[in-house]
Amino acid sequence: MKIAYFSPMPPEASGIADYSALLLPALRRHVDVEVVKRGAKRPPRDADLAVYHLGNNPDAHGWILDALRRTPGLVVLHDFVLHHLVAGVTIGRRDGHGYLDAMEREHGVVGRLLAHGVLDKRLPPLWEARPEEFPLAGEVLGLATGLVVHSRYVAERARAAGFEGRISQIPHPAWPEPGIAAADLAAEPLLGAFGNVNASKRVPQLLEAFARVRAEHPGARLLLVGATSPGFDLDRRLQRLGLPADGILREGHVDETRLWALMAACDIHVGLRSPTMGETSGTVIRALTLGKPLVVTDAGWFSELADDVALKVSVGDREVDDLTAALRLLAERPDARAAMEASARRLAAGPHELGRVAELQAAAFEQAAGGAAVSDDVLEDVSGAAAAVGIAPGTPEASEIARRLSEVELGG
Amino acid sequence: MRVAVLRPQVPFARGGVEIFTDELVEELRVRGHDADLVSVPFKWYPGTRVLTQAFLWRLLDLEEADGRRIDVVVATKFPSYVVRHREKRVWLVHQFRQAYELDGTDLGQFGPSPEERALRRQVQELDRTALGEATRLFATSANVAGRLERSTGLAAEVLPHPPQRLPYRSASSQGFVLSASRLDRAKRIDLLLEALALDETLEAVIVSDGPDRMRLEELARARGLDGRARFEGRVSTERLAELYATCSAVYYAPVDEDFGMGPYEAFLSAKPVITTTDAGGPLDVVHDGRTGLVVDPDAASVARAAAWLRAHEPDAASYGTAGKALADEVTWDRAIGRLLS
Repeated sequence: MKIAYFSPMPPEASGIADYSALLLPALRRHVDVEVVKRGAKRPPRDADLAVYHLGNNPDAHGWILDALRRTPGLVVLHDFVLHHLVAGVTIGRRDGHGYLDAMEREHGVVGRLLAHGVLDKRLPPLWEARPEEFPLAGEVLGLATGLVVHSRYVAERARAAGFEGRISQIPHPAWPEPGIAAADLAAEPLLGAFGNVNASKRVPQLLEAFARVRAEHPGARLLLVGATSPGFDLDRRLQRLGLPADGILREGHVDETRLWALMAACDIHVGLRSPTMGETSGTVIRALTLGKPLVVTDAGWFSELADDVALKVSVGDREVDDLTAALRLLAERPDARAAMEASARRLAAGPHELGRVAELQAAAFEQAAGGAAVSDDVLEDVSGAAAAVGIAPGTPEASEIARRLSEVELGG
Repeated sequence: MRVAVLRPQVPFARGGVEIFTDELVEELRVRGHDADLVSVPFKWYPGTRVLTQAFLWRLLDLEEADGRRIDVVVATKFPSYVVRHREKRVWLVHQFRQAYELDGTDLGQFGPSPEERALRRQVQELDRTALGEATRLFATSANVAGRLERSTGLAAEVLPHPPQRLPYRSASSQGFVLSASRLDRAKRIDLLLEALALDETLEAVIVSDGPDRMRLEELARARGLDGRARFEGRVSTERLAELYATCSAVYYAPVDEDFGMGPYEAFLSAKPVITTTDAGGPLDVVHDGRTGLVVDPDAASVARAAAWLRAHEPDAASYGTAGKALADEVTWDRAIGRLLS
């Protein structure tokens, strides 16, 4: 059985490219996979199933959405909010009408009016200001013959949006321990936050909480790794909080080896996010591999992390207070950090283990490719037998049979 | 307690599961339970027949029989555990192995087409759903429990069952190796024949019957084993007990076996077992240098093990005695006590 695999791939700077690079060798132990060349419009003729990896980044996924429009197939939905992607393939291609239509299709006349506001620059881009309210996942859900998702959060939203096909919830695979030595960064303790430095990563709140913790623990340092988003003035914020320069360690975009070295050096990993697009965080998964205690936002996929690996902080009035308390607890309790480390490693080696995840993905692909034929055969056989003993469609007996089939997920 | 023991039936075939379930019903009755066997024919081919025949179990209503409530059902192997019951206990002998570890081997069933791949996955999903409904889940060996955990994520308690009732006894070795497994390819009796071909001093008695018998007899002829490999076919329980009692060792080396009564029968006759590193379930009780010899799955290793045990009777006897101590622990009292607790 052959799978046509549409995904960004390294060296593209994309978390989903990293994900596919990790997964593919393990997946190929189960199924024949052909990675489709970037920009291809259709799957190869001999493919039994097309699998489309879709996320919110239009640069990485615009061409994949185009291909999905031509040939429906199984979608691995990495983000539930696809507004930025839709904007990219409409407004980004000078197709303002396409954006208006997309907003109207999913959010009615109000959606169309709001879209006009965005096009006229009277409203800030909705994909930045109100993405969770306007996810724009409807078109993709309409084209998908089945879904693979990484979280209950995305599965539930897809169902709530009316998707009726099969949804396979399969954890994000964990990277194997890379065996890279920790960077030499002196701190007691060292906190790390990885990814773009901006408001949606809750960096303002993190800086404020860290300033409070550092007042009590002068040896603590905060490592921020990732590009600073335009308009986010980090230096001014540090000045305002009175954080001395030696309290913050700053690195921009780093390569994979450096990333692991920096993560390994941290005592505490902070993975905050709001709003969430429904995404899974690749750096949080890496932190699990390394057994790092986590502090995360209590939202989306992050909420589904087990309580023994992550302290969760809600967004709201008490966010900075709660974040401070979580950081303080981990800074002062090496025993708690050690317990969380063991749990994190167990999680990475268990549900997130690469081989197990690849097996589940292969199962989802195989069912997507041949499951309908199996269901049809089963239904034909069972209904034929029922009819032969006089059980007619619509009778209570037929309903009973249908219920029993449904209980064991047979017959579609 | 009213207990229904559930067993799929392959018409005209009888093996370890049939013996096990028949004896379970009898032992339940001996202990005062109102027990009966519920059997449904099973044919797993062609195509989706594996699912539709399994689905027959789902349509059964075993909540009561003849107006009297059935307290517990005990399902044993695929697909009997697809049944619905408020107190469904599963004593798992094995899943549908063609959908798991046998897939892609000579013993597999599902081809490479998308439909057959999906069919295999549907069997796995059926397992996850049906076994997940069980109120208690037991497996006959650590091997079966391990496969279950790996394939479905479900944890089972290991609960071995005693072997068939025979007039077990022990006597002096007459120097031959005994094989009492059903004659089918997965039991790997050809390995024993090849071992005999390598060492002209070895002798074996092969009892039981099965689909591989003609091929094995032909192999024995081709290797010139006439007289040294004796095929006795099905034998009486008395004769089987006598062979166990007088052999030098019992050969039991199936490929990744679920449970395997062979070692227990050997041990109750105080005889050591020769098995292989890839035998699966037997490795729960056959421990190298303690209750038998565990060797690489090749003819030379089996030949060396058989010759060694014949030449070292005191060691062989001590292995057999140690094995008997293990087998004596596996009683119906204990098994049924846990099963119904």
